[in-house]
Amino acid sequence: MFEAAIEGLQSVLTFQSLAMMLLGVVIGSLVGFLPGIGGPTTLAIMLPFVMVMKDPVPVIALLVGIDAVGNTASAFTSILISVPGSAGSQATILDGYPMAKRGEAARALSASFMASLVGGLVGPLILLASLPILRPLVLAFGSPEFFVLTLWGLAMVGVLSGNAPVKGILAGIIGVFIATVGLDVKSGVERFSFGEPYLWDGISLIIVALGIFGVPECIDLASQKSSIAEKQELGSGFKQGIMDVFQNMWLTVRSSAIGIWVGFLPGLGSSVADWFAYAHAVQSEKNTENFGKGDVRGVIAPEASNNSKEAGSYIPTLAFGIPGGTSTALILVAFTAVGINPGPDMLTTQLPFTFAIIWTLAIANIIAVALCMAFAKPIAKCCFLPFYTIVPLILVFVFIGAFASHFNRYDLLLLMVFSALGFMMRRHGWPRAPLLLGVVLGTKMELYLWLSYTRFGTEWLWRPGVVILFILVLASVLYPFWQGQGSRHRETI
Amino acid sequence: MEWIKIERPLFTLFVALVLAGAILTASEWSIRASIIILVLGAIGLSMAVAQLIADLKNLSSKNTAAALTMEAPTLQAGRRWGNVEIWGWLLSFYAAIYLIGFLAAVPLFVLSYTKVYGGSWLIAALLALTSWGFVYSLFDILLHVPWPTPLLSILIP
Repeated sequence: MFEAAIEGLQSVLTFQSLAMMLLGVVIGSLVGFLPGIGGPTTLAIMLPFVMVMKDPVPVIALLVGIDAVGNTASAFTSILISVPGSAGSQATILDGYPMAKRGEAARALSASFMASLVGGLVGPLILLASLPILRPLVLAFGSPEFFVLTLWGLAMVGVLSGNAPVKGILAGIIGVFIATVGLDVKSGVERFSFGEPYLWDGISLIIVALGIFGVPECIDLASQKSSIAEKQELGSGFKQGIMDVFQNMWLTVRSSAIGIWVGFLPGLGSSVADWFAYAHAVQSEKNTENFGKGDVRGVIAPEASNNSKEAGSYIPTLAFGIPGGTSTALILVAFTAVGINPGPDMLTTQLPFTFAIIWTLAIANIIAVALCMAFAKPIAKCCFLPFYTIVPLILVFVFIGAFASHFNRYDLLLLMVFSALGFMMRRHGWPRAPLLLGVVLGTKMELYLWLSYTRFGTEWLWRPGVVILFILVLASVLYPFWQGQGSRHRETI
Repeated sequence: MEWIKIERPLFTLFVALVLAGAILTASEWSIRASIIILVLGAIGLSMAVAQLIADLKNLSSKNTAAALTMEAPTLQAGRRWGNVEIWGWLLSFYAAIYLIGFLAAVPLFVLSYTKVYGGSWLIAALLALTSWGFVYSLFDILLHVPWPTPLLSILIP
């Protein structure tokens, strides 16, 4: 394992990989503070470009770099203008914005960057520590267990993606159906291709991702027509903010651990991690009367958790090939395209790639925090870019990205279809992440099911691992309904 | 009654019809090709019907709030005109790509969008030039992308 760690570090420290990581960090930071344009949208736009690259390590450096730092820079808008740059920085507003209003924006920003750094380093450390535990576990699994795991991943994402569990599960099922489009290699049947050769190879995940995430976010940004004219001064207290994190180191580490746990559970995502950490800070800290009025601990806790969450989401992605969230689902697609096979291989033959990811997560966070601290003033000014400079450029990237998936006219038609679907889903509160995960997991799910059936008949259903995992799937699906009934019962009482 | 409240069950009905159509189509295939569609489709269809009933029940309720999700806030019904506007831009861009090709449509779209919403001529021109330069240099010069022939050049040779 030590050799793999060194090999991973060496591969990350080459000029090409470092340059790609820096590019990823800059892109991730830029989109981080543009409200409405989140990490998944950026990763979806980047997919067609990275999939033509031959060397996997620069792809790791670029995509993991983008993913690792998005929540660091998003604190800018949360603190300065009370608009979360990404879903993971919503709780930061509660205390960050009041601090900015009373002239302590610099202190809040430096505290958030420092907490992000701690979270961003604790995350990879725990990911590293989990490898020896995961390795024997993953190697003991066969295709039946992996089938139920994919089912569990889909059920968890569907159930946990909001207070609309039925819609979440339905979205996941639609995603699996989309994954079945094309020629079925097992039977030679043309599934849902309507006799159209373009659909024989299936529907490109890039187009699905750009359609359901990229375009609806742009529509929202364009509809708001938000041009923020109010200016905020950064004020003083930059050093004090850094000191605040050291003075509250135990809270920072606890919040990071919460983030990792949230990231590990497929479907919860960073939008929950920050709230969990904030709630934990309020519950566990002393002198909580200033929370919500500009307490620096209310900035530290969410910012530490939303960064460590990214490392947590790589644990199921790498070990089982089940993405911990939307971003890791997109990264998983890119990894597969460049020859990295998430799953058991990541802990055996492809262990150096796993270490390259861990190193990238750590180094990217250090670079991002250094950049944010060094360029805080000019970056803060960029928060005031009007929408009409951002929307057309993103739409151009979205259209070009979709066209680049097959260089076919139908690519754009499909993009419009999925854009309409994504728009309607967002408009009516349907979670979109399960759909994307359904597309990613659908092929694997079908393959594992078929392998299990051909190897074991129906006997596989009684394997102990399968039974335990099936109970977990059922518990995951039924828990929110049971919880909902319980809360309604309490309300009646 | 608000339009969004009527729209919601219609969208759920659409999902249910898609699932039913998929099951019906898959029932004609061999079990090897259809098993996952039939199993998940049956579960999905029953859930879609349940969701449709819930949506129809909500039609008469006074609560107008859409279901919240943790991933992103639901698009606001009040922004419908803004949504129509941007859809107009999207479809125009799509049509322009077909009509005059990518390389001409990209700067035209960026320039007109920026200018219409209050950008100065300088900013609009700079953004249009940058986007065109990026697309041209990366896709045309470096990657030699086979652009589809614009419809206009077919109609007017």
